Amino acid sequence: MNASTQTEDGPVVVAEPASAEVPDAGRRRVRVPGLGLERFSGLYVWGALVVVFGVWMPDLFLTPDNARIVAGDQAITAMLALGLIVPLAAGVFDLSIAGVLGISSVVVVWYQSNGGSPLVGALLAILLGALVGAVNGFVVVRLRVDSFIATLAMSSILAAGAYWVTNGQQIVEGISPGFVSFGTAQWLGIPVPVYYMAALALLLWVFLEFRPGGRYLYAVGGNPQAARLAGVRVNRIVFGSLVASGTIGGFAGVVLAAKLGTGNPTSGPAYLLPAFSAVFLGATQIKAGRLNVPGTLVAIYLLATGVKGLQLAGAPVYLNDLFNGLALILAVALAARTHRKV
Amino acid sequence: MSGDVTAAQPAAPALSVRGLSKTFVGQRALTDVDLDVAPGEIRALVGENGCGKSTLIKILAGFHEPDPGAVVTVAGEPLALGRPGAGEAAGLRFVHQDLGLVAGLDSVDNLALGKGYRARRAGFIDWAGERRAAQAALRRLGYEIDLRTPVGRLTISERTAVAVARALWGSVGGRPARAQRDGEPGSATSSASSSATMLVLDEPTANLPAAEAARLFALVRTVRDAGVSVLFVSHHFDEVFALADSVTVLRDGRVVATRPVAGLSEPELVELVIGRPLELHEDLGLRSARADTVLSARGLHGRVVAGVDLDVHAGEVLGVAGITGSGREDLAGMLFGGVPRSGTVSVAGREVPPQRPDRAIAAGMGLVPAERHANAAFLAGSLRENVTMVDVRRNVVGGLLRHRRERSDVVHWLERLRVRPARSESAMAALSGGNQQKVVLARWLRQEPRVLVLDDPTQGVDVGSKAEIHGLIDAAAANGTAVLVLSSDHEELARLCHRVLVLRSGVVTDELHPPALTAERLTASTIGSLSERV
Repeated sequence: MNASTQTEDGPVVVAEPASAEVPDAGRRRVRVPGLGLERFSGLYVWGALVVVFGVWMPDLFLTPDNARIVAGDQAITAMLALGLIVPLAAGVFDLSIAGVLGISSVVVVWYQSNGGSPLVGALLAILLGALVGAVNGFVVVRLRVDSFIATLAMSSILAAGAYWVTNGQQIVEGISPGFVSFGTAQWLGIPVPVYYMAALALLLWVFLEFRPGGRYLYAVGGNPQAARLAGVRVNRIVFGSLVASGTIGGFAGVVLAAKLGTGNPTSGPAYLLPAFSAVFLGATQIKAGRLNVPGTLVAIYLLATGVKGLQLAGAPVYLNDLFNGLALILAVALAARTHRKV
Repeated sequence: MSGDVTAAQPAAPALSVRGLSKTFVGQRALTDVDLDVAPGEIRALVGENGCGKSTLIKILAGFHEPDPGAVVTVAGEPLALGRPGAGEAAGLRFVHQDLGLVAGLDSVDNLALGKGYRARRAGFIDWAGERRAAQAALRRLGYEIDLRTPVGRLTISERTAVAVARALWGSVGGRPARAQRDGEPGSATSSASSSATMLVLDEPTANLPAAEAARLFALVRTVRDAGVSVLFVSHHFDEVFALADSVTVLRDGRVVATRPVAGLSEPELVELVIGRPLELHEDLGLRSARADTVLSARGLHGRVVAGVDLDVHAGEVLGVAGITGSGREDLAGMLFGGVPRSGTVSVAGREVPPQRPDRAIAAGMGLVPAERHANAAFLAGSLRENVTMVDVRRNVVGGLLRHRRERSDVVHWLERLRVRPARSESAMAALSGGNQQKVVLARWLRQEPRVLVLDDPTQGVDVGSKAEIHGLIDAAAANGTAVLVLSSDHEELARLCHRVLVLRSGVVTDELHPPALTAERLTASTIGSLSERV
């Protein structure tokens, strides 16, 4: 039923319909004919995690504050992951998206600290993200550099740029309070970045499911040659997908700066791996075998809930990185295994 | 296998095959084949596609094990059958059609591929020695090649020379060169060559322009003059006559004849290959130009295609035949824009730029390409996505794709083409080849194109689906679509087409109309026996 994927040609090693179990759950593979349960396994595991930690540490875990923290902390990663879906669906990597996040977050703050308006600074930062995406697109499409290499190189350039803008120092002066509230305010008890993330997710979901452009993205990622012979302008799609991920990375950077209230030149790169983990794990969920928005959100919050629960139980701080690394390998390996079986 | 086998025993045939049969699950590929090739002989092996030529070669190379009872000797020594490498060790050398070279590496590295570098100095590669040996080997074949050039940038005959040099002199098998000091390239190559008894060339000229083929002939003669027998598989009869001493004809897995080339005429050879005499029809009157031309191409040039004009009219099914390497396999892509070209293509008077499939589609052209998995199928996608890909926008209402509408649109086409299962949400990968091809066809029929180009439309398709696809092509033409079918299946062309153009070496050499339009005539014409008449 949920047919689909961009597999063999894309970088996404993610698989065919059948779907995979959730990596950290240790559940046996349940073969249910027709509507597979597996593609919703992430939701069940998530529920199970909440119950387990809730029973174990009701006072620490099952609190509105904790839910708020988990939701808010993950909003930036989730936006980045959503941005990544676009190029990955078209079969190209964007490893520079976290670099865009980093430089955008310092540019918006730097502009304010030099007396500029926060709104103009934010627009400049987002525009910069789009520009970086356009340069990536040019290098990949026109200069024919492999996207993995091109965007890896770009992320190094962006790290240098962030250092150059800030002189290697955190910028803490001259930040407008209005700007900070853009990242820290709450509405109905939920931090505003969660709403931005939800809006972005909705937008992207509609685009991927209900616009021809979404169809073209998956087609290019699935079989670029066939897409070209079906009249799809493959180069445009690839170029556009990188501009989109750059723009989304730029916006996420603005939200990050407002949330932190500072401009930190080293904050970007740490977001890359969790975002990738979530996207690939997400491809085993909901619309299994295809990168998709709801699956990615499930993956983000599944991973975050697990990490948070273990941290509250006294696990060390490095657990987060460990968890994300393992999840990435497991997600891709499971997807590859399902693919082989087909 | 001590050194000079051929010289020591001149009487023993280079290759002797007795009673060789091969049965694949329920399918007889070769029946009781006998074959003798004398030392220093150039033998051609010819026959239609599927006659068993490649099976025979693969058995000699050890990829297939023949049915019990066969005896094969190489230079008088029995060959262990069904063991990869045994043929090599016994003195057989193979150059396959794809040559097996790595394009990015230079000649020296390619010569060392698989066998390792021969010249060593204290465990390290002695590059100067390797280069001298490589140069000497290529010179023996009459080639002076810049050894530093990646082989991908060499001409095709130069690449063939590298592959032949590697087959003959790059080998370790039976070579006493292990004991040899490095820095003696000449002696290294000559002593190694003595262990090669026969060179097997599998369609070496399939993609060669004429001038390059002439160089290759000289190369083959050089090999022969070095005392090595040559068995070469060919589709080009003019080559057989220009190069071979004798020719063996396979038909339906049996050797039907082995004849010296001297005294054999081309019509006789054609008759041996297709099994019945050719009936010649001389009534190929030129048709007057028709007003309802839909697809028109002028002066098409490409990788192989060298000046093709064609016109397809409304309601007409035009076929294009040609062997692999004739340019047929490029033509569809050139017209549609998937493959680079020069020359003009227009649809209903509207010119279509090269390299722009989207513009070709907008002008009303459709293409069912060859090699469905590479060029047409989105295997992980649903049938819905596969069918609607060319025109997704049709089901957009108010800016959004309406999935329900799309589903009924797709199911309508799946049912019309009798795709099984006719479920829009099935994954493309889950379908059989025939059904996948029908899905691709549905994608284009849904467009109601003015011109439908089909490239090997029933390749890898079961018999039932094949008949259905033929019926759909008939129906499209009956509705006024101009149809162009390019196919390696001559029965198919004879079945479908109103007329067929024959391509050889990139140019149209023949045009067949009924009643002369038969599979046999097409086969004869594609391999060149009729080219003189036109």
